[in-house]
Amino acid sequence: MTAVMLTVMVVLLVLGFPMMIPLIAATLLAFVAFFPMMPMENIIQQMIGGVKPTALIAVPMFIFAADIVTKGQTADRLLDLVMRFVGHVKGGLAVTAAATCALFGAVSGSTQATVVAIGGPMRPKMLQAGYKDSFVMALTVNASDIAFLIPPSIGMIIYGVISGTSIAELFIAGIGPGLMILVMFSAYSIWFAYRNNIPVQPKSDWLERLQAIKRAIWPLGFPVIIIGGIYGGIFSPTEAAAVSVAYALILEVLVFREVSLREIPDIALSTGLITAGVFILVAAGQAFSWVISFAMIPQAIIGGLGLDGAGPVMTLVAISIAFFIGCMFVDPIVVILVLVPIFKPLVTAAGLDPVLVGTIITLQVAIGSATPPFGCDIFTAIAIFRRPYFEVIRGTPPFIFMLLLSSALLITFPQIALFLRDLAFR
Amino acid sequence: MSGSSPSDDGSPDGRRGLVGSLLLRPVAQLDRVIAVIERVILSYAILLMFLNTIGNVIGRYIFGQSLYFSEELNQFLIVMVTFVGVGYATRRGRHIRMSAFYDQLKDKHRKILMVLIALGTGLVMFWLSWLAAQYVMSVAASAKVTPALRVPLYLTYLWVPFGLFLTGIQYMLTVVRNLTEPAVYISYEEVDAYEEIDTTTAGAGEDRS
Repeated sequence: MTAVMLTVMVVLLVLGFPMMIPLIAATLLAFVAFFPMMPMENIIQQMIGGVKPTALIAVPMFIFAADIVTKGQTADRLLDLVMRFVGHVKGGLAVTAAATCALFGAVSGSTQATVVAIGGPMRPKMLQAGYKDSFVMALTVNASDIAFLIPPSIGMIIYGVISGTSIAELFIAGIGPGLMILVMFSAYSIWFAYRNNIPVQPKSDWLERLQAIKRAIWPLGFPVIIIGGIYGGIFSPTEAAAVSVAYALILEVLVFREVSLREIPDIALSTGLITAGVFILVAAGQAFSWVISFAMIPQAIIGGLGLDGAGPVMTLVAISIAFFIGCMFVDPIVVILVLVPIFKPLVTAAGLDPVLVGTIITLQVAIGSATPPFGCDIFTAIAIFRRPYFEVIRGTPPFIFMLLLSSALLITFPQIALFLRDLAFR
Repeated sequence: MSGSSPSDDGSPDGRRGLVGSLLLRPVAQLDRVIAVIERVILSYAILLMFLNTIGNVIGRYIFGQSLYFSEELNQFLIVMVTFVGVGYATRRGRHIRMSAFYDQLKDKHRKILMVLIALGTGLVMFWLSWLAAQYVMSVAASAKVTPALRVPLYLTYLWVPFGLFLTGIQYMLTVVRNLTEPAVYISYEEVDAYEEIDTTTAGAGEDRS
């Protein structure tokens, strides 16, 4: 039965059905096969229950904040700030792009918004400076995925809700690995600039730097609110999300005057549209997860893969591989919704810290989203940069190697993620 | 994006014939009204969700009192956004799907596959909407009320069968559109074309059809 379900899911997926359909179809199938006596309305009850947790309200709120900020000046001001400080170093422009992606990730939490906001203005500058386009595009796509790890992170919120893990702890745990990847990318950028002898940018003097700080001081309030608020126990992640919407409105409407109040309902509509697309998947995912765990399907799959009684490291490696492969083909949220319940018994049996598991899953999701053939950020890049598929992916192998290395490091040294968490919460 | 949508949905342009124009025109007009309602609901639900959550924070820190109904209102709103939004996302052709295989096909085969996808998805939506109606009725029969505001619980779920039903209708309209027009339509309104992929998350500006 499990095999039939999986086959149906894969076939529907490959044919191009909307992603809610494979989830719903598998749920209906499993329901009919395993629980023919139960009323089928239970599926609806699960779907409604799936979108109800208060913690999930953080998702539309962070999307809303990102939508407002993307229309305004925040990204430009952050870019300028980083550029003033590292632009004159060899490879400085590339380091600027990577670091601003991480910084913007602390504002928005959406990788696609990050590709747009940072890749858009940085690519022409870098091309002009002499960087190869394949490098520029690969850097943008991969560095944007740091936004997955740096709080706020929509993937982490969804993982936290369906696995019952503290979202606040997940957020804090993502910072370490995010910064580690940023350091790796920066080092590679500098090496690349030396090797290709890319000229450096003029050095900014301290007056210019001071002005850049002044311009960026407002946008820098986002990480302070989100990370500081959650770290300090002032807000729940959901509240922090609403506060960052308020902050984004104050910034772009009142201070920068880049967004007018009349545009807000339209922006909210766009947020509602994206939210609905994600939440119908969350709803279907909840019904799916409920039915398969009721039918003990995860245990069957884990047994079938020979993973029964796997130790912690083995479990983490298996999870990493499954999520990495999954995200190469399918939207990350769907992968989280399908695989987290499947691996749940294994994680519990191995006695793993669910925060560590969540961080590793988020990292894999980030890697998979930037990895050919079908990583979703590649397609964002194709659409924004208007370059063919093969040009966009040509430069990716070194980045994927670095990301895989960071997965190995994270599995070997969980403290990279857990150190800050323990500092804050233990 | 509105450039791709035909400006007048009911134009009797011969291709569709008498049956099409007689049948489709009122449907198209009703559909436009529904689209406006969907837009208003989605947009204001998100704004209300924000005001409600931020109000709760302000209430707690400034007035020392949380909004007792805050959580419940958010639950109501997110159920509404999800199930009203499914239909709207369908209308806008914005559901996440893996189109790699589909993209390789020639237009003619694409059209056949799209009709199959829309038909299959539409039927599943109708089925779910039927199940949802039964569920809502069973909740109504149980006379449950929400804990804080004491509203009958089933009223907060009414969106679910309606939203799923309207989604089913959207997919059926997609089938009709594909069968009556030469281009491949990803939804009733949107032609399936690549250069129009919306790349920003803030795609609100293009939303006036």
